[in-house]
Amino acid sequence: MQLRPALVYVRTMAVFVAVWWLVSAWTANTVLLPSPRVVFEALVDLARDLELFQHAGISLGRMIVSLVVACALALPLGFAMGLRRGFDEVVDPTLELLRPISGIAWIPLALFIFGVGNALPVFIMTYAAFFPILLGTVAGVRGVDRRLVDAARTMGVPRRTIVMRVVLPSALPALLVALRLGVASSWTAVIAAELIGAPSGLGYAVEWYRELLMTPQVMSFIAMIGVLGYACDRTVRAVAQRFTPWAADEWAR
Amino acid sequence: MSDGTGRIARGLALPVALLVVWQAWGVASASPRTPVPTHIVRAAIDLIGSGDLPLAIAQSLGRVFAGFAVAAVIAIPLGLAMGASRAVERNVDPVVESFRPIAAIAILPLAILWLGTGTPAAVLIVAYAAFFPIVVNTVAGAKRISPTLLRAAATMGLSRFATMRTVIVPGALPAIGVGLRIGMGVAWTAIVAAELAVGAKAGGGGSGGIGAMMFIFYAYSIELNRIVVCMIAVGLVALVLDRGLRAMMRRLMPWSAP
Amino acid sequence: MSAAASARGDAQRRIDEQHTSSAKLRLQHIAKRFGVQGVAQTVAVEDFTLDVAPGEFLVIVGPSGCGKTTILNVLAGLEQPSAGRALIDERPIAGPGPERGVMFQDYALFPWQTVWGNVEFGLRHGPAGDGLDAAARSDRARSTIELVGLTGSEQKYPHQLSGGMRQRVALARLIANEPQVLLMDEPLAALDAQTRLILQDELLRIWGQDRSAAERRTVVFITHAIDEAVFLADRVAVMTAHPGRLKAIIDVALPRPRNDATRADPQFQALCQHIWSLIRDEAYRATVA
Repeated sequence: MQLRPALVYVRTMAVFVAVWWLVSAWTANTVLLPSPRVVFEALVDLARDLELFQHAGISLGRMIVSLVVACALALPLGFAMGLRRGFDEVVDPTLELLRPISGIAWIPLALFIFGVGNALPVFIMTYAAFFPILLGTVAGVRGVDRRLVDAARTMGVPRRTIVMRVVLPSALPALLVALRLGVASSWTAVIAAELIGAPSGLGYAVEWYRELLMTPQVMSFIAMIGVLGYACDRTVRAVAQRFTPWAADEWAR
Repeated sequence: MSDGTGRIARGLALPVALLVVWQAWGVASASPRTPVPTHIVRAAIDLIGSGDLPLAIAQSLGRVFAGFAVAAVIAIPLGLAMGASRAVERNVDPVVESFRPIAAIAILPLAILWLGTGTPAAVLIVAYAAFFPIVVNTVAGAKRISPTLLRAAATMGLSRFATMRTVIVPGALPAIGVGLRIGMGVAWTAIVAAELAVGAKAGGGGSGGIGAMMFIFYAYSIELNRIVVCMIAVGLVALVLDRGLRAMMRRLMPWSAP
Repeated sequence: MSAAASARGDAQRRIDEQHTSSAKLRLQHIAKRFGVQGVAQTVAVEDFTLDVAPGEFLVIVGPSGCGKTTILNVLAGLEQPSAGRALIDERPIAGPGPERGVMFQDYALFPWQTVWGNVEFGLRHGPAGDGLDAAARSDRARSTIELVGLTGSEQKYPHQLSGGMRQRVALARLIANEPQVLLMDEPLAALDAQTRLILQDELLRIWGQDRSAAERRTVVFITHAIDEAVFLADRVAVMTAHPGRLKAIIDVALPRPRNDATRADPQFQALCQHIWSLIRDEAYRATVA
């Protein structure tokens, strides 16, 4: 009995919602566990007066800005580190010292420097995305098949052309994997940063409604966070599929 | 061997240079609050000596280990079941995948609503955070086991349970190890974030832990040097946890190449 | 083998030797060592000396680890020898270049380029395309693709091709640069046995075994497979391992063009046996402690 995957998905989620409904009816406490219907109504309200989308847009905007900055920093650095052993030896230890200090740990210091506002989330998110993208880029550049570079060398292709026309396309699948990880990292950081230090955005909204004890709204925004996170991941995957169709097996999860 | 020491020297050059520049900039800067390497060292000695830092770290670690254990106990068997049985995977995966993009920190307000601002909520957040990397990697590890190995076990007459115990679990162990390491890293980040957030919202009161301590130094005593000490401590603990876990996995898997 | 065929083979070789006043490629006392002298040194190749005549199809055969690939890399300019000289047309080989095209065992095709893009690559980005405008490049790419028998597949990507087709693309990419020398590192090793036989025939056709000797390019070909070596080669250089040394050079006096009938020829079998006897012991030793 092989149901199509979409149907199985719907069936499982239906079971989940049903269990939720039962438990919420049994506890009968809207603050603790509102019923699915109440949450759904809250969601529709928030969507209708656009509040849901406003905050979502702000968070997304911050993430995009952070990713652009993180890529602008991490990609050239990653290429330089991957291509030149000497450069890597100088820079890598410093980066390895900084890396274990997660973006979250920077929040208090960053709060002091930037104060509450837009800059704080962007800074934290850029920092969070920077390391996965950098590490993935270095690995991608280093992992370029030596034979491809040799093949180009035997054709007399000059070194700079080899970097642009062999190393770069070769490393592209790995770069896109790194980008996916960067997206995941910065999307996690956005919530933490906004929860603590921003006057807008999904993280802020979640916390705002919690203080008002309006759980249905809290859950609505949490759902939105999940949906957008999933959508961003899928987008990067689709880009990768479109531009690097030959590397399909690198996309395990 | 001259090349080895040369490499160490090159590696140290940049951090040392940065420290020197930082020190000079801090000393020259007008604001007395600017964190400066020498003050940071002094603050570190204070915090360790008074026992505040070790206590905070111990509190946070306690929560991390508790949450991590809960996550592992649920995620590993679940992941193995999902990896071994298509039916289980098909039915459970939608729920897992739907919640995976929702970071643990987003669940924090809910956790506080349900459990208050103390340790139970923190443990819940950590468990939630660590659950996903562990389950995802366990499933991948169980699935990656070469079907040829499974067929070999079948031709030797092993029962389903014995196959699970002697082929699938050892075969998936490297991937489980990866999941545990990532999960530990995520758990540690989550606890710091959770304690920070609770500290920020609950007015710096009683939750304890290193995240809360950092927030107090920000909001109340404005001790930037101490904040930096905490940041370094967070990084060091993360490193130690990772290395420790890696060493433990190596002990458990003598057959795998490092 | 008839007397007439044997005479034809001899005559052909005399034609070759005529326009060979000097060797196309020279390897003189090539040695390659790794590691620190006196401490832990691996000698990959020791005192290897060999001349390759213009238009000759030379095959190097030997057990694993005997340094065959090292020799090829030295000829390609991808590696520098620890001692000795490598010369092309009496000039030292300094680095890689399109006049010595290389075909690798795992094709080394650019996965993000189509067949067309791969074949054209050296012309677009390397010195082989200097002085060619876009139309001339296109022409050359098209005729090369036709030569290897892949017309119609120009827009396909490597991951859509079979192993045999990929190897044809690799060959086309190399030939499009009009190299004087073709260096091939076990190019057929990754193919199944049947595809191998087909491609051996194709290789000889593309190389020009039907044409006169003067029109052929020089080939240095590496393989494990002795029957492949004897089938393809004018001469077979047999190497032994640990350290890599030239053990013997065998003339293959079988007439060209070679085909399935050649493989049934008793002289073919005899040559194969002879070469096997030279390396059998070493091959055995490699499989036990």
